[in-house]
Amino acid sequence: MSGSGDVVVAQALSRVFPMAAGPVTAVREVSLRVDRGDYIAIGGPSGCGKSTLLHLLGCVDTPSSGTVRFEGRDVGALSDSERGKIRLTRIGFVFQRFFLLPMLTAWENIELPQSEAGVPAAERRARTRELLEYVGLSARAEHLPSQLSGGEMQRVAVARALANRPALLLADEPTGELDEATGDHIAALFDRVHADGTAIVLVTHNASLAARAKTRRAMRSGVLE
Amino acid sequence: MTAFALAWRTARRYRARAVLAVVGVAVIGALNFDMLMLSRGLLLSFATMINSTGYDIRVAGASTLPLSRSPLTDATTLMNEVAALPEVDAVALIRTAGAVLAAPGRPPEGAELIGSTDPAGLGIWKQATGGDLTSAPNGATASAVISRPLAVRLGLSAGSTISVRVRIVDSLSAMPPVTLRVAGIAEFPFESQQASIVATTMDGFKAAYGGVLNDEASFMFARSRPPAGAEAAADAINRLRTDIHAFSNEQVIANFGRNAFTYFRQISVVLSATTAAFSMLLVATLLTVSVNQRLGEVAALRALGISRRRIASTLLWEAALLVGIGGVLALPLGELLATVLDKILRRMPGLPSGLHFFIFERNALVLHAAVLAVTAVVAAMYPVWLAVHLPIAQTLRQEVS
Repeated sequence: MSGSGDVVVAQALSRVFPMAAGPVTAVREVSLRVDRGDYIAIGGPSGCGKSTLLHLLGCVDTPSSGTVRFEGRDVGALSDSERGKIRLTRIGFVFQRFFLLPMLTAWENIELPQSEAGVPAAERRARTRELLEYVGLSARAEHLPSQLSGGEMQRVAVARALANRPALLLADEPTGELDEATGDHIAALFDRVHADGTAIVLVTHNASLAARAKTRRAMRSGVLE
Repeated sequence: MTAFALAWRTARRYRARAVLAVVGVAVIGALNFDMLMLSRGLLLSFATMINSTGYDIRVAGASTLPLSRSPLTDATTLMNEVAALPEVDAVALIRTAGAVLAAPGRPPEGAELIGSTDPAGLGIWKQATGGDLTSAPNGATASAVISRPLAVRLGLSAGSTISVRVRIVDSLSAMPPVTLRVAGIAEFPFESQQASIVATTMDGFKAAYGGVLNDEASFMFARSRPPAGAEAAADAINRLRTDIHAFSNEQVIANFGRNAFTYFRQISVVLSATTAAFSMLLVATLLTVSVNQRLGEVAALRALGISRRRIASTLLWEAALLVGIGGVLALPLGELLATVLDKILRRMPGLPSGLHFFIFERNALVLHAAVLAVTAVVAAMYPVWLAVHLPIAQTLRQEVS
């Protein structure tokens, strides 16, 4: 970990995708610093490179040029399994389509990253119970995703993302599949997560969700304005 | 949650796919199991037959083929010499001839006449009902043990009398008939299922030849005396004369394993490999389709930090579960199929009635399990590779778009 309050620092990040018709630059020379208390919303039109930037910050993709330092460590110099470890223990992901495992209950979906991280069973149970309470789904612990509404699934996904007490929560269009009222509930949940000390970076088209962030940035053609 | 538990839940969640895979593996596995039983079935069946005769050595005229019936000359002297060997416990001479049964009001029926010096018929028949050849003859009438199909066809039972006439090879003439009293009915495992067999004492056999018969035997059985063992006893017998060849049962079986049954083994290996390949393709296809349907899930898991190893082991367990459950179901299914196929194959004319094509043995089970284990691992290789190597960011982007 770094000695400062930086969670992730991106410098001059570019991501170029080689295509048959010629290379496409999704992210162009982006620099961004995310501190522990940050809550950043990134907006912009579809295809402007928001999600790609999020993937680079979340160590699921590697930049074509530039560097990402996560809690002081140069992500580019890490092995795949070391990056996986960072994602497991220091980063939480929330996806537009939830991506809960359909064969596992809400409880088990939240428990899964903890079990992968080797958290002891008793501690795991306590944390899962706490998270279900946190997202207001204690009564739905034993329900499968197919038995939950979209909003409930996204709340489970947020709980899963927080399971290993990450330093950074990344959310990619977290309200994209939800109606306005349900989206507001999720937005309120992000407010709580941020207030409890987790840095958040989210990309969204949802103006009211973006309005709740401390910092709002816009991207156009791969450039962060 | 363990990888096994995740695999189990996945199989339960995608039930139709799992059932399809299990049924497919069960059917293909049953064929594979049958091929494994077939590969050594005849040999094992033959070994069981030959080892249940009560004798462990077979002696025939000098020949390289253990089961040939090249006649033994000066058979009585040979029998006495063999019986006198310290390595030998018991000896029996066997003679065979073509014969015709004449029953009143019925057309003559061809039969095989067997003469044996062993009245209990060890090595030749297994008593089913009635007595053996030790049953006291009625005056000049010798006893006979007959095969069950013959008894059924002619309505004979213990106490009946039959009229037997020996056929002279390459001649239209025949010996005058002799009367034999049926002492019992027996199974003749080395003869075909529908064969008409009449076994009698050597005296009865000689009487069928009009009381004049050269001193030959079709073959001879011997039982080794412990602790000498069959091989040592066979060696001792071989040293007596150069015009004979004694084989222990093990040597006979080994010879058959090398020669007569090689084709079955080769066919079984080819068919077994083919069925295993089909099984592997089925599971690999279903798992690959399943992984392709769940690419978003897998990419999300990887994004959440779930290791490649866990994803790979979950898929491996999934393959193992599908193949394992299918493989277990394949056993009773294979056994049932083997019973039906065995029944059909044993209808082949001239096949010894005691011979079976499909024999269960522990080795077949072990091999079946090994083939399935390899199938599961190979079947999982491509889907595992697909899952662990998928580009996370690109897959997530594609899933959303």
